[in-house]
Amino acid sequence: MKKLVLPVVIVVAVMAFGLSGALATPQSTPGVTATTVDIGGTFPFSGPASLYASIPKGMSAYFSYINARKGTDGKRGVYGRQIHFTALDDGYVPANAVQLTRQLVEQNHVFALVGGLGTDNQTAVRDYLNQMKVPQLFVSTGATTFDADHGKYPWTIGWQPTYHAEGAAYANYLNNHDKGAKVAVLYQNDGYGHDYLDSFQAALKNKNQVVDAEAYEVTAPSVQSQVVKLAGTGADTFVIFATPTATIQALVIAYKIGWHPKLYVNSVSATDTFLTLATNAAGSAAAVNGAITDQYLKDPGDPTQRKDPGIKLYFRIMNKYGPAGARLTDILYLYGMAKARTFVTALYAAGKNPTRASLMNAVNHLNEQNPFLLKGVSIHTSPEDPYPICNDELVQWNNGAFSAKTGLIKGC
Amino acid sequence: MRTRAGILAVAAIVLIVLPRFLSDYHSYQFSLVGIYFIALLGLNILTGYSGQISLGHGAFMAVGAYTTAILTVNHGWRDLWTIPLAGLVAGAAGLLFGLPALRLAGVYLALATFALPIALASLEKHFRAFTGGGTGLILHLPHSELGFHTSPSRWLYYLTWCIAAVLFACAWLFVRGRTGRALRSLHFSEVAAASSGVNVAAFKTLAFGVSAFYAGIAGSLLALAVAFVNPDTFPLSLSILLLTGLVVAGLGSLTGIFFGAFFIEFVPIWSQNVSQNAPSVVYGLILIALLLVFPTGAAGLLAKLFGLLRRTGL
Repeated sequence: MKKLVLPVVIVVAVMAFGLSGALATPQSTPGVTATTVDIGGTFPFSGPASLYASIPKGMSAYFSYINARKGTDGKRGVYGRQIHFTALDDGYVPANAVQLTRQLVEQNHVFALVGGLGTDNQTAVRDYLNQMKVPQLFVSTGATTFDADHGKYPWTIGWQPTYHAEGAAYANYLNNHDKGAKVAVLYQNDGYGHDYLDSFQAALKNKNQVVDAEAYEVTAPSVQSQVVKLAGTGADTFVIFATPTATIQALVIAYKIGWHPKLYVNSVSATDTFLTLATNAAGSAAAVNGAITDQYLKDPGDPTQRKDPGIKLYFRIMNKYGPAGARLTDILYLYGMAKARTFVTALYAAGKNPTRASLMNAVNHLNEQNPFLLKGVSIHTSPEDPYPICNDELVQWNNGAFSAKTGLIKGC
Repeated sequence: MRTRAGILAVAAIVLIVLPRFLSDYHSYQFSLVGIYFIALLGLNILTGYSGQISLGHGAFMAVGAYTTAILTVNHGWRDLWTIPLAGLVAGAAGLLFGLPALRLAGVYLALATFALPIALASLEKHFRAFTGGGTGLILHLPHSELGFHTSPSRWLYYLTWCIAAVLFACAWLFVRGRTGRALRSLHFSEVAAASSGVNVAAFKTLAFGVSAFYAGIAGSLLALAVAFVNPDTFPLSLSILLLTGLVVAGLGSLTGIFFGAFFIEFVPIWSQNVSQNAPSVVYGLILIALLLVFPTGAAGLLAKLFGLLRRTGL
């Protein structure tokens, strides 16, 4: 018994020493120094959604431009601070997003998370970021909850028009122009897909209009069985709420099995790049022609928009700071650039000595005319209205170009 | 015996003091080491001692993790109480699996366990209302309790390693004496074991149950650590990772397990730092090199070191 006294005393003393030192010391403003601002985000550079990697590349290009040019105050960057943007690859897997976001906050000590991609990915990190009081800004997903639940998660905000608004826009178009359509829906079996589907169905006047809705898993290699089943229902309208790879597959399969329905393709997959890929894969423009989708951004793939100052600026920045050999007609680069511009606007508004709180305050009082958005679409937030972009319009794809089908629709 | 106690004492002191010198993030990483440590303790009893290969132990971790997640998120339970319950639920699952597994041996058992994580992932996605489906369940960050005031990461570190220490002691008691000998005899020859009066079926099933219990507790702690549970959190690669950790530790030995846990947490991260494009290749190379040089794992290495020390009269 005596022999144990000394070891026990040592252990207790060491425990007291160890535990007392384990209290965390908070940092003044993480991620901000006199000359730099550190921000980060997780994006799918690999995996089933890797076609979205253009978004962080567009963001990086814009930040490089801001870092190099002299602003109105004569300083480069934002108030003389260079923006360092760390984009990490989560492979579109929520568990990875959690791990990497933690790393960005606790190891890289970023000032804010900007533009993180993926409905389920950003939902998975939302609680953590709000508990740690780290801004989760302008998430790259239209899931309605990021704006709708801004009151509950005040450090989180979206950017693009919500899927709710988009699903409802398609439904309203059908209500007004195609009441008798028999609709088949393909949707991704996760938060993103369900958000679109539920909003779409809720806004349809004729509740029996959807004859069948088939889900597919993100990790599924093919959507063939779902498309074949949908074609078998005899529907004349095909609505696709899927990410790019699955959308392209669905369009090609539908064409190849001889099903030629009227097409509605969600905006995340209906860019010039993806629709052209589908056309080439199917071997015919008829596979994709007539597809209706939703737009709020200008389109670098549209030759008639080339003279637009915003598009000119886009090409100038991408040619100088974008990745070598990039396909500049990919609208996702423009999307990233537009989002980066909104962040820079907010960072300026956060003041010469920004804090996370002052940044969120700026984000809650945004009023931006963004040169990369369609005319009439602006970015506006207030504490009562946390939806940055509310307006969009329905456009139709035909032989490589979009044409407007409706005027601007107000989504919120 | 004395040197062993000495080593354990030193290890305990190091673990207690470590967070003082570590950032929050590194404390969090060491909590994950602790979680893998607990899982490996369990897997060691199953594969190292009783010789039943399990390529699906991540599934038992998932059972424990989902138990904790569902109880805390859907039913508002306090997270600490869910940990032992998660272990029990996973242990029951292990016993249930152990019974039909009696009919299988060797490669066929490995294949059957391989199916576990895959089947479980499908079940998790199917019962969406219960498990949150693909989107999963989001937990609150662990808050320091019981009168301590510290950051979530450091609280998690102490919670994990305290539980790990207790379970280590339990594992040590479990494998010394009759039970340990019975399990080891199963590994060498079931026929000889049966003829020596060992109830082969009972011990094999018990091994599954106990190892699943450990995995369940590890899974529960992992759910609290990551604060997020969905079918992707427990992929097939996790089960393979655990087996890798066990082999690096040295099969059938308790002493090397810390190194196994340390290896599977940090070496993949270091591989990413070495090569952004092919981290798996780097990881694989390190693993192969390690096993070529130390085929009996960390435990073998330690034994050699101490043999060396003893011979030189220290």
